[in-house]
Amino acid sequence: MFVSNSMVRKVITIDKEASLFEAQERMSANKIRHLPVVDSQNRLTGIVTDRDIRSAMPFSLLKGDDNGKEKAKIAALKVKDIMTANPITISPMYTIQDALLMIQREKVGAFPVVDSDGTLTGILSVRDLLRAFVNVLGINEPGTLVGILVEEKVGQLKKIVDAITEENISFGSILVARHWEANTRAVFTYLLTNNVMRVKKKLKALGYTLLDPMEWYLDQLPKAVEEQ
Amino acid sequence: MRKTGYLHDMRYMLHDTGPYHPEMPERLMAIYDGIKDGGLLEHLTLISASQADLKWIETIHDKGYIRRFEEICLSGHLTFDDQDNGICMETYATAFLAVGGILDTIDMVMEGKIENAFCAVRPPGHHAETNRAMGFCYFNNVAIAARYLQMRWGIKRVGIVDFDVHHGNGTQHIFETDPTVFYYSIHQHPSFAYPGTGREFENGALEGKGFTKNSPVLPGQGDDIYKMLIQKDLIPAFDHFEPEFVLVSTGFDAHEDDEMSDINLSSGGFSWIMETIMQLADQYARGRVISVLEGGYCIPRLPELARNHVGILLNT
Repeated sequence: MFVSNSMVRKVITIDKEASLFEAQERMSANKIRHLPVVDSQNRLTGIVTDRDIRSAMPFSLLKGDDNGKEKAKIAALKVKDIMTANPITISPMYTIQDALLMIQREKVGAFPVVDSDGTLTGILSVRDLLRAFVNVLGINEPGTLVGILVEEKVGQLKKIVDAITEENISFGSILVARHWEANTRAVFTYLLTNNVMRVKKKLKALGYTLLDPMEWYLDQLPKAVEEQ
Repeated sequence: MRKTGYLHDMRYMLHDTGPYHPEMPERLMAIYDGIKDGGLLEHLTLISASQADLKWIETIHDKGYIRRFEEICLSGHLTFDDQDNGICMETYATAFLAVGGILDTIDMVMEGKIENAFCAVRPPGHHAETNRAMGFCYFNNVAIAARYLQMRWGIKRVGIVDFDVHHGNGTQHIFETDPTVFYYSIHQHPSFAYPGTGREFENGALEGKGFTKNSPVLPGQGDDIYKMLIQKDLIPAFDHFEPEFVLVSTGFDAHEDDEMSDINLSSGGFSWIMETIMQLADQYARGRVISVLEGGYCIPRLPELARNHVGILLNT
């Protein structure tokens, strides 16, 4: 669960003396939204995003009303004029959890990953975190989600896992989330099977309430992360 | 009344999925009883199964996969690929009988002996990938049928409608890049049901972009949403694609009494879907429809659902 396992290692970078148009072209050619700015020793000095570029463009140019004079002014702009110097970075030994919480707090779309001497070793974007989360949920594999309401007390999960294991069903993932009722938890089991009829009956017979799928939700965290 | 074929063979019951498995041989007897007790048997052309020629199965499935399937059945294993896929010594041969029966049925339609047909086969097929068994499925019956229609009978555009409550991942993936086969599926939303594919944004790839359409349905929904989605998604798609032949992946597991899903279709809802498919087939495919059984696990409900289904094919 370390950043080093999930980050992109072949980082597409740009020089601080490059023009704004060059930066824009590099982003669109590679379908990315963040370009770390590095010096000749590959040490990070800044980051430029597609939003920085859009903010620097006058509206008339964005609209396509070609205006030679405006264009010339923009053409003179360099990456160093619009980049964020000393951006927030993370270390390759940060965990994915660190990165998730940092991205939520800092409201950025990507972190350059640098080692202890400031050398750029990778980049981790919201996209990479999402890929890691898809993997954690197990939803790349065929399966069925079964939501179970449990009392918040020790040993509940064991009973559920035992009941499902007895049916010879493998788990893709298990998530435990807060439920809106006090002292209860919602357990979401992603079961790698098409055949959930028997196990659902069994769980009900054991006294568990199966969650109405239309009332499922993972948590009530405020929607703080804005994708960039 | 139309000339309708009914592929029914006791040998389809030889495929034993093991104890407590929902995809059980009794499903076919329930279907047969429903058709018989509904007085429809005498109007139907009964078709019995024959072994498929391996070459047709190889149009869809990898040779290595087919060999692996044969070996694992004959060696006495009880499951294949996933724990879900219960097998026995007879499974391999039964899967060949399922494909063979469907291909014979196609011949009968193309030769004008019958107009349409219901193929009550086991094992089902729509989850089977080219190289992997999944969700009780081993050979993708409908996919092989589509290729056979094209290669043996020169049909250019095949339309597939899949109303099993689970998404037919295998069929979709096989034809994803193929603009000559349109795959439409309506099913329980993949975030809540097996196999986790068939999202709205999956609409084909490369040249096949726009020739796959998925209508995911949220848990608890039923007839109204199905009607709305089929009118919005299927009908315009087929109006544009103009299929020359329609294959139907028929699953009865979206029924409100079927515990395999959280979808609440009524028996009348199923009839409406099939009637709509028949209208589309009349309009574009000269009524050429072959319906192939996929899922449907509520034994007490299967007789009535099968009777209604066949009644619509017969146009009684």
